[in-house]
Amino acid sequence: MKALNRRKLITASAVLAIVGLASTAIPAQAAEVGVSSTQIKLGMTLPMTGTASLGYNKIPGAAKAYFDYLNANGGINGRKVTLVVKDDRYVPTEAVAKTNELILKDKVMALLAPLGTANVKAVASSVNPARRGVPVLFVNTGFSGFADVKKYPTTYTVLPSYIMEAKIMGEYIKENFAGKKIGLLYQDDDFGTDALAGFKAAGTNFAIKVPYASGSQNAAAAAGWITKFKAAEVDVVILFGVSSATSAMLGVAAQLKYAPQWMLGSVGGDATTIKATGVPAGVLYNAIGFSPVPATTDMKDEYVKFFSDIYAKAVPGSAFDLNVLLGMNTAFMTAQALKAAGANPTRKSLLAAIDSKGATFANSALVPAGYSKTSHVGLTGYWVGKYSPTGDLSPIGGTYVTYTTDSGSGPVVKSTYKRPAMPAKGLPN
Amino acid sequence: MQLLNTLLIGITAGSIYALMAIAFVLVWRSTRVVNFAQAGMALLSTYFGYEAVSRIGSFWVALPVAMIGGALFAALVELILMRLLVKHASSGPIAGVAPIIATLGLLGVIRSVISMIWGGQDLRIVAPISNNGFTINGSTLVFSPLKLLVLVVVAVLLILLTILFQKTNLGLALRASAHAPEIARLSGVRVDSVRTLGWALAGAAGAVAGLFQTVNGNGNFSPDSIEFSLLLVSGFIAAVIGGLDSLLGAVLGGLFLGITISFVLMYVSSGLFFIAPFIILLIVLFIRPQGIIGVKAGRRA
Amino acid sequence: MFILGGVVLYFLSGMVDELRVYQGATIAVYVIAISSIILLTGYSGQVSLGHGALMAVGAYAAAVLRIEFNLPIILCFVVAVLAAAIGGALLGAAAARLSGPYLAGTTLALAIGLPSLANQFAVLGGEQGLLFDVGFPPLALGEDFTQYKWFFWIAALAALISMWVVRNLLSSAYGRAWRAGRGNEVAAQLAGINTARSKVLAFTISAGIAGLAGALLAMTIGTVSPSAFPLALSFSLLTGAVLSGITTLGGVIIGAVVLVAIPEIADVVAHRLGSSESVTTNLPGLIVSGLLILTVLFVPNGPVEQHRARKAKHAAQHASSKKDKH
Repeated sequence: MKALNRRKLITASAVLAIVGLASTAIPAQAAEVGVSSTQIKLGMTLPMTGTASLGYNKIPGAAKAYFDYLNANGGINGRKVTLVVKDDRYVPTEAVAKTNELILKDKVMALLAPLGTANVKAVASSVNPARRGVPVLFVNTGFSGFADVKKYPTTYTVLPSYIMEAKIMGEYIKENFAGKKIGLLYQDDDFGTDALAGFKAAGTNFAIKVPYASGSQNAAAAAGWITKFKAAEVDVVILFGVSSATSAMLGVAAQLKYAPQWMLGSVGGDATTIKATGVPAGVLYNAIGFSPVPATTDMKDEYVKFFSDIYAKAVPGSAFDLNVLLGMNTAFMTAQALKAAGANPTRKSLLAAIDSKGATFANSALVPAGYSKTSHVGLTGYWVGKYSPTGDLSPIGGTYVTYTTDSGSGPVVKSTYKRPAMPAKGLPN
Repeated sequence: MQLLNTLLIGITAGSIYALMAIAFVLVWRSTRVVNFAQAGMALLSTYFGYEAVSRIGSFWVALPVAMIGGALFAALVELILMRLLVKHASSGPIAGVAPIIATLGLLGVIRSVISMIWGGQDLRIVAPISNNGFTINGSTLVFSPLKLLVLVVVAVLLILLTILFQKTNLGLALRASAHAPEIARLSGVRVDSVRTLGWALAGAAGAVAGLFQTVNGNGNFSPDSIEFSLLLVSGFIAAVIGGLDSLLGAVLGGLFLGITISFVLMYVSSGLFFIAPFIILLIVLFIRPQGIIGVKAGRRA
Repeated sequence: MFILGGVVLYFLSGMVDELRVYQGATIAVYVIAISSIILLTGYSGQVSLGHGALMAVGAYAAAVLRIEFNLPIILCFVVAVLAAAIGGALLGAAAARLSGPYLAGTTLALAIGLPSLANQFAVLGGEQGLLFDVGFPPLALGEDFTQYKWFFWIAALAALISMWVVRNLLSSAYGRAWRAGRGNEVAAQLAGINTARSKVLAFTISAGIAGLAGALLAMTIGTVSPSAFPLALSFSLLTGAVLSGITTLGGVIIGAVVLVAIPEIADVVAHRLGSSESVTTNLPGLIVSGLLILTVLFVPNGPVEQHRARKAKHAAQHASSKKDKH
């Protein structure tokens, strides 16, 4: 009787397994996976739901807004660019599963802007895009490791690394706040570890360092941080955390009338996002901020104007913030890479195009990108600005002053980079 | 000053945990079920409150709307889900765990449905009174009119519920149904209706917790906001510390938890946010398995 | 029987594409993890909402040993089992004093708290986690033998072995003691069973199996990081166990397949209906939670047990109607 049941169990599981596994797609014969005569298919995984999704879930809409504009204006040599988006809920297991679907089922040509260090690392290890020759364009993290060509030969970063940012902040402090007591709020994971490494390289000394666990940043926690900074009597407080940490901190600071000199890291420094949480604009006034791309409110900037017009039409009612600008900028760079990859782009020619021409791709950033055959480092610096009375980050004195550096021991230098003009109609040339 | 502020941070956080813990206790007393969907219900009530605020514009209208909405929804859950559960899964090997699983499932359903209706983005409810700290001798305290209001509301709710339980016939029926349902039934108490009422009261208490947790934060909330995961875990832990059976215990448990966590984060490490509640819970369970206030029957459901 | 199962799986893995092979490996991992819940909850009557954390313990133990000492992969898995079992024994010692909702709450707090500890110790690699590389498949298996097929083989073999172990355990004296304690603790004690020790033992073994599942999960995603073990994982396991039928090992594959298949099915349904973005992304969660409630309400013992019961009833009726005719 028992043996019989067991046999049934096995048969049942076998049947189920076959049913579950049976549907296999027959691969279409084409010059390159994901490229047909009419379209180029790209794939993206990122958190669309869950705690980590806030703000980032606007990125697919932003990228699609640009691709739709591009497609309406002829696409890439007549091919329409389509983007398949999957929700990974910021869980590595999901990121791997969804990326497998993108590559093996949806058959995308390349992966676009995956988010989160742990996720990208898990995908690199398990799915192994490098071994499959699948390009991973412009990963959305400031972790410097992904620029390593030997370890991740098909992966390109785009954001300047957290280390670069901390080094540039350290340099700015040296120049402007010598002798002041500095406090630091940072996330107690790799994001913060990289920041600490950068500050160490810059020789910044802190009167107090306050770590917070990722996911714990709320008003009650912020009241605790402020109490600590007050007790340490610091003059300058650097907020090197995510948007929700910055918002919680500044919101509570307004309630407690705590007003040191604030310095905001770029990850959590987007004014639109901060103000949307109810932080009074006045609190941001005179805070120092950093960004690789122009201020999102700078309508004199041709890229910002162009992107925000497209976005307003594509996603009416949604605020044009830093995530949107970066998302559209990434789509814009991708379009140029695809165009540069030749009349019949392949994965190989796409990679080669970024290696040889990536550093000259027009894009909104005010700092140079470091792409070459031997380096997949993206943007290499920041401009320093101050928040206006209305709480918008603007360049000090009206002109963008940019600094560049590397993720190692290289010096921080004032940059003389001249951004290429926007191609006609915002289409890749 | 640092010490005083740490204490104040703990007390306000703790008072909201206490509200949530009261909700857990009310459900536990009426049906011997720990409702893991409690925070989900609080979240849903907060959305009810949001709808009221955006239509009528007043927090003081939104609060009762959220409470009534929360109470009705909780009553509905008891009427449908819990009664079906009693009917289908009250015996057999799964009986002990069925309510836990069912309420966890309900939590998932509530979150998904909320995300479908209202989307995943942040919505905002503005506090009815100032959350700016009081200033004493030139230094600003981490204590504001709003936080004072939270404390007052918790105290009033506790007093009202205590009166209800101790001084009214209804309270007697509530207690009787919880402790000896068969005897209560024989003496003419409509045990089923009384249970539904227990859930409704819990739903209302949870609604208050949800709204105040939201406005006492920065006013933003979403299906995934940290504040509500906190309510789920901290509210439950506070209830357990308090002994699960006592309203006063729930309040003391909430305050104890809030203050302890505040001191740990301030003086040990602010990175211990997630592990601290677990350690506190373990220590309490080992030293006083019956909770701060609780009968010595042990922790056996 | 288990060998036959292995043979079937072997041929299957040769027939399907790489994505299905990967999903097959995931299913095998879930089979192991769910069986640990069935043993604990269905047989010994203890609830754990923290098995995701125990999986993390196993995964980290395996990864650290692999990186620091370069141990052979099989030893890493053994250590994963041992490490998680030790964790489980400690937790079980606490659990024996608790029951029902208290235990659920304690393990819930563990599931939330434990993974964040990885950020406190440099050796655990922080938020980005540690690489966990089981190596390429042996060359003897041929050029076409993909990495995912290798993962699938390892996971499927581990699943078959652990199912065999669990099945034998459940039909042993231990299994009887667990069931006795679950049904009526006082009666079991009167019958001379040390229920407290029996419960701790169940927790220890269940945790060990969960640890194995954790290490295998880490294998399939190539890394171990705190975010791979969210609270949602613990909930999924319980869901999978309930859908499988929590009191019997027989349906364990059902829960595992459902957990892997639902996001895909939901995707198809949502696109067919042409739903909006917010509906599409939240449909999988709604379906899983809804199924969980419906199962608890209407098939509390799971589909396999239900089917068996109906069949038994049918057979009995059949027998009695036959008797009437004679």
